[in-house]
Amino acid sequence: MLKLPNDIIVKETDIPSLGALRQKGKAAFLSLPSLKDEAFKYTPVQNVLTDEMFQPSSCCNHFKECACEKNKLDFEAHCFFFCDGTLHEHFHLTEGMEALPLSEALKNHEAAGHINKFDATKHPFAALNLACLEQGLFLRIEKTPSKPIMFFYQAKQQGLKNIYNVILLEKGVSAEIVEIFEGQNEAYFTNVVNEIFVAKDASLKHYKLQNEGLSAAHIAFNRAEVKSNGCYESYVFQKGGKLSRHELEICLLQESASAFLNAAYKIKGDTLVDTTTNIAHLKPFTTSEQTIKGVIDENARGVFQGKICVAKNAVHTKGYQLHKALLLSDGASVDVKPELEIFADDVKCSHGATCGDLSKDELFYLRSRGICENKAREMLTNAFLKTVFEDISNPNIKNLFENF
Amino acid sequence: MTNKTILDIKNLYANAGDKEIIKGLNLTINEGEVHAIMGPNGGGKSTLANVLSGKPGYTPTSGSVTFKGKDLFSLDVEERANEGLFLLMQYPIEIEGVAFITFLKHALNAKRTYEGQKEIDMPSFMRLVRDEANRLFINSDMLKRAINAGFSGGEKKKMETLQMAILQPTLAILDEADSGLDIDALKIVSGGINNLRDGKRAFLIITHHQDLLEQIEPDFVHVFAGGRIVKSGDKNLALQLEAEGYADFIKGEKC
Ligand SMILES: Nc1ncnc2c1ncn2[C@@H]1O[C@H](COP(=O)(O)OP(=O)(O)OP(=O)(O)O)[C@@H](O)[C@H]1O
Ligand SMILES: [Mg+2]
Repeated sequence: MLKLPNDIIVKETDIPSLGALRQKGKAAFLSLPSLKDEAFKYTPVQNVLTDEMFQPSSCCNHFKECACEKNKLDFEAHCFFFCDGTLHEHFHLTEGMEALPLSEALKNHEAAGHINKFDATKHPFAALNLACLEQGLFLRIEKTPSKPIMFFYQAKQQGLKNIYNVILLEKGVSAEIVEIFEGQNEAYFTNVVNEIFVAKDASLKHYKLQNEGLSAAHIAFNRAEVKSNGCYESYVFQKGGKLSRHELEICLLQESASAFLNAAYKIKGDTLVDTTTNIAHLKPFTTSEQTIKGVIDENARGVFQGKICVAKNAVHTKGYQLHKALLLSDGASVDVKPELEIFADDVKCSHGATCGDLSKDELFYLRSRGICENKAREMLTNAFLKTVFEDISNPNIKNLFENF
Repeated sequence: MTNKTILDIKNLYANAGDKEIIKGLNLTINEGEVHAIMGPNGGGKSTLANVLSGKPGYTPTSGSVTFKGKDLFSLDVEERANEGLFLLMQYPIEIEGVAFITFLKHALNAKRTYEGQKEIDMPSFMRLVRDEANRLFINSDMLKRAINAGFSGGEKKKMETLQMAILQPTLAILDEADSGLDIDALKIVSGGINNLRDGKRAFLIITHHQDLLEQIEPDFVHVFAGGRIVKSGDKNLALQLEAEGYADFIKGEKC
């Protein structure tokens, strides 16, 4: 298994900025994290990642099948397809958007200035992603689109799906992006980075449905910089994969920027789902709210690490964080690590975590009306998760979550 | 011709938690009969209702209960319900996030499936619910909410009565269906109960008030104290209790 930087073979390229990013990624990748690394202390990636998962995915030939996903939608959308990690390049775009394959964008574009604005040595999988940089989308949204933008990720073969997307929302733009990850029961590894920039007064609703194959690893590093009055709002539902991690790093760069995360996961078997967040309040009047709910059955494990940092001058900040877990069996477990680092006065920050089983009284009530125990449990777990998606304003997208 | 026995309780002992509450109870309920149980607070009336419906934490320790000829305690909670046992709870709980209509449809279909009938379709179901809701003066807004979510005490009892009307039980156990009801609501709920009386369906009505019994006119009234029935009579017994209280009946019963 790839463990050390020497194991990474950096591909040659005639695009200088691409080559530079690959070298930078390689230099930043120190090794695969172990349980000794604070950021991965509950998430044993080394137990799950195998050699096959790092093999290059052979070139994809199922774009047509992938594209059929679009037909399953009962609403209009702009669609992008990643089949086994490869971006389907024949996309049509109209209204106020510029979309290019990332490697293309890096040729003569200021895209290079919007990539890797973070310290990659602290994010080994993002470093790895940079070192293997090839696939991904550069998307600049200049005008508010009339329909949602969908990213479909389909995995049919084993190997590495290494994807790096850069998303720019220009001033005052509102957009909805929906990511759907699906895969077969193969040993593959989805390693995705979304680097997002939300300009002044812009607002991004970022949705993600993760149903990877049950042998797969999924590591997503999402990073958003939000400028004044801008808003990054996200809804995440994870249920697949053998090990998956949704990491969200938010920089509230200017006054009145805000970020919201509403996440749910529903897992069983020996699945592990990790949600890791790091919200930096850098300026006054910034707001963040995170609500994460997990339903954990059989021997599955939930992990939540949530950090809120408030910089010295970031007064009148609000930061709120809540993790609630339902443990449905004796083998199920959850690890929660909240962290508040507050250097400013006059801030409102709170965190909370609860953990429990289904209410016995509620279960009895439903059964006493003739509903069998399994159905009753299902109804109550769905009720528990439902509130996470209650506020999705687009009914079509809400539907995707409710029927996921 | 004698009526068929629906519920037959013989010398029942049962615990609430680890405390013995029901102590040697005997009661037989036949088709079409309405039985009322009255008795002092903490006497064990709700415990009896919970034991019969199979609530966890309420365990029979000896004696027997036969329901429609079957050993009640060999049935799961949901089987008892699908066999036709319905408990209107003294304190109906609220269940956030579970839509009342969806829940009730599942409950009705569970019963229909159990009986070998096919599931009811949504339009027929909605018609049925609306008709029954109208009779109970439940407006359509209330139907849209989650189970009992945010309802007043009296509204909850109405919603429970609606469930009973839809599920059409063989034996309905009503644990203080009348508590928290205003004068009009009491008429509506007791009207709902009377509507369900068809000469076959049986009722076990737990109450503290003569008012409900005036509307319903039970066939039997039992005084329940110290974990068992200490006196039985007809509806006039309720009047006597109202006038005199329980003092005469519980002498020597409370330790
Ligand atoms: N789950 C339980 N665990 C322990 N004790 C219980 C439990 N449920 C009931 N009890 C006790 O059993 C006794 C009988 O309670 P129960 O609720 O059956 O009385 P009741 O006759 O219905 O009273 P009321 O008229 O006030 O409704 C009480 O002392 C009560 O505290
Ligand atoms: Mg009671």
